Amino acid sequence: MDPALLLAGIASGSLYGLVAVGFNILLRPTNVFNLAQGEIVMLGGMIGASAALGLAMPWIAAAGLAILAGGILGLIEETVAVAPVLRRSATGTAWVTTTLAFSLITSNLVGHIWGPDPLKMNPPAPLSMASFDLLGVRTNSYQLGVILVAILIVILVERFYRTRAGKAVQAVAEDREAALLRGIDPDSLSRWSFILGGGFAGLIGVLAAPMLNASTDMGPLLLLKGFEATAVGGVGSNRGALVAGYMLGLSEAIGASLLTPGYQQASTFILLLAVLMIRPHGLFGHQEVRHV
Amino acid sequence: MSEQAQMTSFTTQYQVHHKLLPAVIGCACLFVAFALLVKSDYWLFIATQIVCYLIVAIGLNLLAGYTGQISLGHGALLAIGAYATALAMVDHGWSFWAAAPLGTAVTALVGMVMALPALRVSTWYFALITLAFSDVVNGMLGEWADFTHAFAGVVGIPMPSIDGRPLDATQFFLLSSALFIVCFVVVARLVQSRFGRAMIAIRDNPSAALASGAPLLRTRMLAFSLSAAMAGLAGSLFAVQKTVVTPDDFPLELSIFFLVVVRLGGAGTLWGPVVGTLVFFLVPQLLDSLQSWRMLIYGVALLGLMIFAPNGLVGAASRLFARGRKRAALEGFSGSNILIGSTGSVEPASLAVRNLTKRFGGVTAVNNVSLDVQAGTVHAIVGPNGSGKTTLLNLISGFYRRDEGQVVLNEIAVSGRNAAQIARLGVGRTFQTPKLLPSLTTLENTMLGGYAAEKASPLETVIGLPRALRDQNLTGRRALAYLSFVGLANRLGDAAGELPHGQQRLLEIARALLCGPKLILLDEPAAGLSMSELDRLAALLKSIRSRATIVIIEHHLDLVANLCDTVTVMDRGAVLASGTPSTVFSDPAVIKAYMGARMVNTQETAVARP
Repeated sequence: MDPALLLAGIASGSLYGLVAVGFNILLRPTNVFNLAQGEIVMLGGMIGASAALGLAMPWIAAAGLAILAGGILGLIEETVAVAPVLRRSATGTAWVTTTLAFSLITSNLVGHIWGPDPLKMNPPAPLSMASFDLLGVRTNSYQLGVILVAILIVILVERFYRTRAGKAVQAVAEDREAALLRGIDPDSLSRWSFILGGGFAGLIGVLAAPMLNASTDMGPLLLLKGFEATAVGGVGSNRGALVAGYMLGLSEAIGASLLTPGYQQASTFILLLAVLMIRPHGLFGHQEVRHV
Repeated sequence: MSEQAQMTSFTTQYQVHHKLLPAVIGCACLFVAFALLVKSDYWLFIATQIVCYLIVAIGLNLLAGYTGQISLGHGALLAIGAYATALAMVDHGWSFWAAAPLGTAVTALVGMVMALPALRVSTWYFALITLAFSDVVNGMLGEWADFTHAFAGVVGIPMPSIDGRPLDATQFFLLSSALFIVCFVVVARLVQSRFGRAMIAIRDNPSAALASGAPLLRTRMLAFSLSAAMAGLAGSLFAVQKTVVTPDDFPLELSIFFLVVVRLGGAGTLWGPVVGTLVFFLVPQLLDSLQSWRMLIYGVALLGLMIFAPNGLVGAASRLFARGRKRAALEGFSGSNILIGSTGSVEPASLAVRNLTKRFGGVTAVNNVSLDVQAGTVHAIVGPNGSGKTTLLNLISGFYRRDEGQVVLNEIAVSGRNAAQIARLGVGRTFQTPKLLPSLTTLENTMLGGYAAEKASPLETVIGLPRALRDQNLTGRRALAYLSFVGLANRLGDAAGELPHGQQRLLEIARALLCGPKLILLDEPAAGLSMSELDRLAALLKSIRSRATIVIIEHHLDLVANLCDTVTVMDRGAVLASGTPSTVFSDPAVIKAYMGARMVNTQETAVARP
């Protein structure tokens, strides 16, 4: 197996892992798995790429714009699709349908505005997609950058959950009423989670754009890959998400030389079912306590 | 009127069963009339396609509407049924009469393998797994060329034939319609049975299902396998109707379309998916001209319906009609003593808890707790908030998994079993905040408790065999009896969500009693009850105790003192004292540590209560 392919697999796996971390960021405080997350990542990629290409903005400004757009979209989603159904029933699962609907709407609006052609975005200045040999392995500096940034982000996110604020976030996930009594407003927490989660998704979109090319196909692809990484890694485990993302990226890289895309999807799917059969809560997850 | 006759008349009046026969005859007449009047092949083609979609939609409604499991894979399941039938008929020369059952069975089997891991975990896992499944099926239809003929598709699927004579378009339309009616009856019978109530409980309040002994995974799988089989059957018909199937016939859009029609008509209503599908076909021009905006329209429709009309068109219409419906009161009905004993000979059970421990992370919520409750006695657990009382109850009833220790019911160790299994062993329970199904009536909520008492299988229920009907009737009558026993007979037609808090508690007790429990666990039954309801509760507990051992968590210490044989005082997860009320409440350690101040407070609040 060509080690260059494996490195590329790790790099795209890092992106899948980051999408999964994005799911976790929202899941902890709100118990909502956002089915529109893939589309927010996609929008981030489109806005970042358009700003950098069309408006000739510097990378950092384009990335800022994408994060802002992601945050705003997250806020809109929370307001129109999540808060109304959670208000009706905090434990209900109507959000599965409403976030799906929101994702259909976003994807189609973006498709109508930008059209079907993928946009290519250049990496930020010192990094580039130009290949070079590292210890005999063909790679490029952006690939390595993405791998490192993903690890850094996971470390930062894990560290956050050990702080006072992070613990407060988890407390709300476990018991909304108790959190309310302790002065944490779950509504505003849920709103802020969607703003931050949306901004985070926008950032992932910008990171992904040079490697995957930004297009409307990115949304469903990253939704599924991100879900697979979440399910295999274990809901709530960010380290697990990254490791599972690597596994997905690697199996994709290995499979690509052996199988056509359809078979490749099918074999990943069967592997996912097998993991869930043996470990329903993923490799690094543990069963959530039921609340009565 | 004798009590028995009076009760029978009320059972008929409040039959939760929709009258199926007129609906079936009406549908059949419509289909036959259409077949007789319409000779245009085009319209027969369209009508047959609508019937195929109707079958998928009512199946999806069973799963997504009643059981609350959102599937994004029903288009793919339809594809599997269609391809299995088409390939068997075209490539292997099977007759339709063998190929259609094959298509149905293959779809159900593939679906179950796909769904089982996700249904074990959660609703959103299931939604995403079915989405990924759609993707995989779509890819494979295109790429598994040796088997599926890839994008050329399967061509030349023949009409089914009888005695060598193929059916014409009209006959095939009638065949499809007849199969639709069968599926409709299957869904209708099922959702009105104990299985349907279990499904709704899984959707609205899984704890209520568990407490009534309804197994979550088995019930979800039942809904899913039937739903997948119906999609497969529809696929068989769809293949024959189209004569050609290609991968392009089954885009992801189709799965979303089915979700939209179910939502539009009214998810979780019998006629909703039918209305939704028909409405969609009545406005085809609109969608044709807006082709490129179709998915956007689906998205807006789904979102709007979920927020503004969660019960769809049928839900909105039935709400309008329900306002005019009369609500009879069950006046003068005093049948509390009639059917209470009819569950057979239920003997109260003894309970022993040995060294039970439960930790949540670093917190030990229940610490090495032991207690003994003699059969036929009333045992109270008291203690301040957070002392582990409810956790203890959850451990006994199997809602939490213990870390250490044993729970022994009638000398048999039951710890390690799940909540539904323990409920079926004869442990009934209520919750600190009542876990009811707000959209169902008081009567139906009570009948949920009869889940474990009924023995008829889903198949018997769907066919309507005598045992199933007898079981259902008995559950209905017992539910009526228990409702009047707890004093809710005049509210049996009201939605449980509309009851005031105190009545919701009484309703939950009625539901727990319907399980025919040997041991009943009550979590603060008196909280929020009015003075008259409190009196009724005390009387109720006195009459229950001859039939079931009672363990009660309660803050009303006068109630505890008057009613209970033994008391356990808990504090910070451990047992502080245990014994008869008089010894425990006069124990200086208890008074000093906790009771003294609390006793005064409780009495004050009890007096201040309006």
